[in-house]
Amino acid sequence: MRWLRAGRAPPDDPGLARERTSLAWTRTAVGFAAIGAALLHKYVTVGVVVLVLSGVVQACGRLGRPGGAGQARPGPLLIIALAVTGIALAALAIAVFGPPSSGMRL
Amino acid sequence: MWIAGPGPEVKLWYRGRTRLPGGGGKGDETDASGQAGTSRPAQPPAETEPDARYTFANERTFLAWIRTALALVAAGLAIVQLLPPFPGLHWGRPAIGIPLIVLGGLVAVLSYLEWTANQRALRRGQPLHRSRLPFLLAVVIAVVAVVAAVLAAVSR
Repeated sequence: MRWLRAGRAPPDDPGLARERTSLAWTRTAVGFAAIGAALLHKYVTVGVVVLVLSGVVQACGRLGRPGGAGQARPGPLLIIALAVTGIALAALAIAVFGPPSSGMRL
Repeated sequence: MWIAGPGPEVKLWYRGRTRLPGGGGKGDETDASGQAGTSRPAQPPAETEPDARYTFANERTFLAWIRTALALVAAGLAIVQLLPPFPGLHWGRPAIGIPLIVLGGLVAVLSYLEWTANQRALRRGQPLHRSRLPFLLAVVIAVVAVVAAVLAAVSR
């Protein structure tokens, strides 16, 4: 922290923030993939769509930020928010109109 | 509290003023026009690209909320489909699972709106909005937990 002792402003380099953000995108993509894989057992179409969305999430995290620049990107974030809303609507349709389940025996 | 600006000067994000490097005293603070003094009201907010670290942090917060939304949807669906039915209460599982699914969809939409509002505040150098999502999440989960406990007790 030489810049602090010298009374200078912090450096503009975002340092590890970019890497932490990239890892957060990866965790989100893994979350999508896990839900997609779980859905594949019973609802193949929905499961495949969610798995594809997992790839889209990973691509949104990696692409669209040339050189790791720190500009805001509303487009990919809106896509992710809409994707989760769509998944919630599909889950709601399954919960309301889907066939009754006897549950899983533990 | 201050953040780095694009140049050598440091910006006080909650006041919209700048402090020149090396300056330590209160009298060294200047407003956006570079004039000394602290008593002038802030000018209408001019938008500039914020520090990249704050943009990244805002994006990570959004992604954390998205993961929370996904977990809520998955939990709601698992309750409806995988939980054994409550004896004599065929509406028991939907009563617990559907609110969680709806909450997941709401959190996804609201988290994007919060990201937008926070990014705008960062660009204008204004204080960040207080998020209402934690309160919403806490209230709905607490209510669902109480409903689940009542259902478990009644169905015995």
